[in-house]
Amino acid sequence: MDKVDGTEHYNFKAPADLATLQVIILDTNPLAWAKLEKSSSLSFPSALSQLLIFANAHLAFSQSNRCAVIANHIDGAHFLSPADPGIDPRDPGEADLTPEELKEIAQQNASKYRVFRLLEDEVRASYRRLIMGTTPAAVMASPNGSSMAGALGAALSYINRICFGGTGGRSTGVPGDEKSKVTSAGGKVDDTGRTMHAKILVVSVTPDPANQYIPVMNSIFASQRLKVPIDVCKLQNATVFLQQAADATGGVYMEPEHPQGLLQYLMVGFLPDHLARRSLILPTKVDVDFRAACFCHKKVMDIGFVCSICLSIFCDPPEGAVCSTCQVKLDVTSLENLGKPVVLPAKKKKKKKAIDSLPESGVASAADSPAPAD
Amino acid sequence: MADSDEDFVLSSSGDDRPKGRGGARRSTRKSKRADGAPAPGATKREKWEDIQRSWDNVVEGADGSIAGTVIGLLEATKRKRLLRDTTPIQRGIIRHLVLILDLSSAMLEKDLRPTRFLLTLRFARDFVTEFFEQNPISQLSIIGMHDGLALRISDMGGNPADHLTALQEKAFTVEPKGASSLQNALEMGRAELFHTPTHGTREVLLIFGALSSSDPGDIHDTINSLVEDKIQVRIVGLAAQVAVCRELVMKTNDGDDSGYGVILDEGHYRELMMAATTPPVTKTEEKSVPSLLMMGFPSRIVEKHESFCACHSNLTKGGYVCPRCTAKVCFLPTECPCCGLTLVLSTHLARSYHHLFPLKNWVEVPWSEAHNSTHCWSCQAGFPINQAPTSPTKLKIKLSSNLASGASNGTGAATAGKNQQPPLPPTQRYACTDCKTHFCIDCDIFAHESLHFCPGCQSLTEDRIKARANMWPQITEEESRDATMGTQVAEATRMMENSKIAPGTSMEVDS
Repeated sequence: MDKVDGTEHYNFKAPADLATLQVIILDTNPLAWAKLEKSSSLSFPSALSQLLIFANAHLAFSQSNRCAVIANHIDGAHFLSPADPGIDPRDPGEADLTPEELKEIAQQNASKYRVFRLLEDEVRASYRRLIMGTTPAAVMASPNGSSMAGALGAALSYINRICFGGTGGRSTGVPGDEKSKVTSAGGKVDDTGRTMHAKILVVSVTPDPANQYIPVMNSIFASQRLKVPIDVCKLQNATVFLQQAADATGGVYMEPEHPQGLLQYLMVGFLPDHLARRSLILPTKVDVDFRAACFCHKKVMDIGFVCSICLSIFCDPPEGAVCSTCQVKLDVTSLENLGKPVVLPAKKKKKKKAIDSLPESGVASAADSPAPAD
Repeated sequence: MADSDEDFVLSSSGDDRPKGRGGARRSTRKSKRADGAPAPGATKREKWEDIQRSWDNVVEGADGSIAGTVIGLLEATKRKRLLRDTTPIQRGIIRHLVLILDLSSAMLEKDLRPTRFLLTLRFARDFVTEFFEQNPISQLSIIGMHDGLALRISDMGGNPADHLTALQEKAFTVEPKGASSLQNALEMGRAELFHTPTHGTREVLLIFGALSSSDPGDIHDTINSLVEDKIQVRIVGLAAQVAVCRELVMKTNDGDDSGYGVILDEGHYRELMMAATTPPVTKTEEKSVPSLLMMGFPSRIVEKHESFCACHSNLTKGGYVCPRCTAKVCFLPTECPCCGLTLVLSTHLARSYHHLFPLKNWVEVPWSEAHNSTHCWSCQAGFPINQAPTSPTKLKIKLSSNLASGASNGTGAATAGKNQQPPLPPTQRYACTDCKTHFCIDCDIFAHESLHFCPGCQSLTEDRIKARANMWPQITEEESRDATMGTQVAEATRMMENSKIAPGTSMEVDS
């Protein structure tokens, strides 16, 4: 029957050789970078140029590889590359240079591979614009300002459009719908409708934004669904969220011991694409802390109690058995006699006649003894 | 199952135009339900006389192109899928579901390509994956109806891999044969759900391809015992409506038959089936008793030498250690095979939060606001630039007859607002009601279906985020700023009080 229908060809698909989109999320909190420079002598400019070398290396792998850079700034996420369409592409740092000086710069860069230069110019120009729009007061107001969730959300939305044509990675699963997939991508599509592979690299210097727990978790799940690994390069302030993000999405988590050698960490740890990674032992962290913190005392514990309605975690049954998050009265009777032998509940009196016919004493004693005497 | 009906209500009363064959057929099917607002002047006309032809709605622009209309229709279709009730409703997050597949000879029909049987199995696989993605701490079991008997395919368990293997090994190798027996399958499902704890839901999703059931006893007895055991049944019919299925769904869902759907085509089949992956709304009359569950949050270990895991007896080098009995399991979430403690990752709990705190629907941006943005905030896709209302290249889209109720999906202020003026082409911008950031339709869908948060809101200042962070109790006040949302919330609260949340009706907001 199958053969008549010719269904077998649905199962056969050669793995498409797709290009990779690298999205870099870069913390640009000036205060955090200043702190890092003090402790490890890695300054932001040198980190940025090392990062650009890494991006160029990625672009050099294949003509169709692409790269996007998102700044996780104190006031939100900003695209550095591709820069916002419609914005003046000139570098504000070069605004007051004379045409002769500009020409000289252009001649210096004349022999540079065009793709590299475009990316570098764009990132530098957008970053200058970003910093010019940031006041010292704003920096001091939010010393740990970070919008990791917003940046991850923007990165994933961008990946969703570039790599999946906006379908969200859900194959429609309806046979006969195949033609809709072969649209934007010059033909090459794999079975989930993806036209490019993608990976995200987070270069982070700020501590975990505690109030973004749920959105960060949600973006982890979204990237799991899109099969996009989140790599994390944590230069200071060890983090739990990003550690879980890397672990859950199959990415690499690294805390460089010597941040001044950033480039080498980037090249060795984060450059391989998904195909190469299959045959490599990745330098990721193996022991990940999965213990949960309770909502009531923020205690980290490994056995806890969970409200069945809102899934809040408690270290002990809450007072009065009322869940503090959703205000629902909880049934804790099953927990009260933990460790004690379970007693069968008294039989419900559905069949009156049957019970009446039983000897009276037997029923009564069973119902009256809630727990064994010992 | 509510979703399929909700979708329909939206499409008939919203401002999106019918999209060809599917739309027209859908509205004819639902004509029985008499909620597809009949045209005012035509009292005695039959439903099939009112066929809306999709090509009537398309009018060429001055340059002879219909691109603008096509974009509008595409976006309307995408958005129809997306708009849903965003009231934070209590849902049964911890679920126990039995998936019953029809493996009778009726499944050999080829009205679905390649056959009903193969398509069902394919969807069943997708369903398992999607179900556990949406409900990581829930349990599933699969039963087949084969040759008059109930065939157990997989046992109640929380590991998607087990179910997928079982489907591959047991279901794919079975040749559909004989009659299907509702009673046998339901009784087996009931037996599987009998021991499940009271704080979780008990559900059955039945895929029914046949039009008859050959039962050993009285099916009505089974229905009554299902009601007694508080098991909710949803049915996806592949052929036609069957009276006993309808009764079964009505009785087990407090008289609400929205859980019974008959498919139109492959896409609709998938839609109906996937609707069951959303956790069911908890009705106020205690279906389930809220309780505290003891859970373990195990840590991962990496060993030098391989050892057996307690769950599959496989040799593995790493795994998770139960904090109570220190047995090693290789997969989470699971129940410790040794001491019975539920073992989860805290991320699994976080995964279910979006069912409880859904992201609000975004609204379409009218042209008057559209000049604020040139591109989508999150994916950098460009927006169409502003066109003056008198532009000669303007494309006209005919108002459909029922546009008067166009405000029901909360986008009333957008294109459909003025009744007499021909509407403009869509702005293709959608704005979050909180942060007023503009997004494209793809990001809108992505944010609502996958991300479950608004990237724009998350990159605002901390104060704003904090204001949003106090989620549950405050949300009513916060939302009531927005008139449409306020109505929705009020409606839902009222319905919750009346202890009758009929999922089908909660979408119809009159504003």
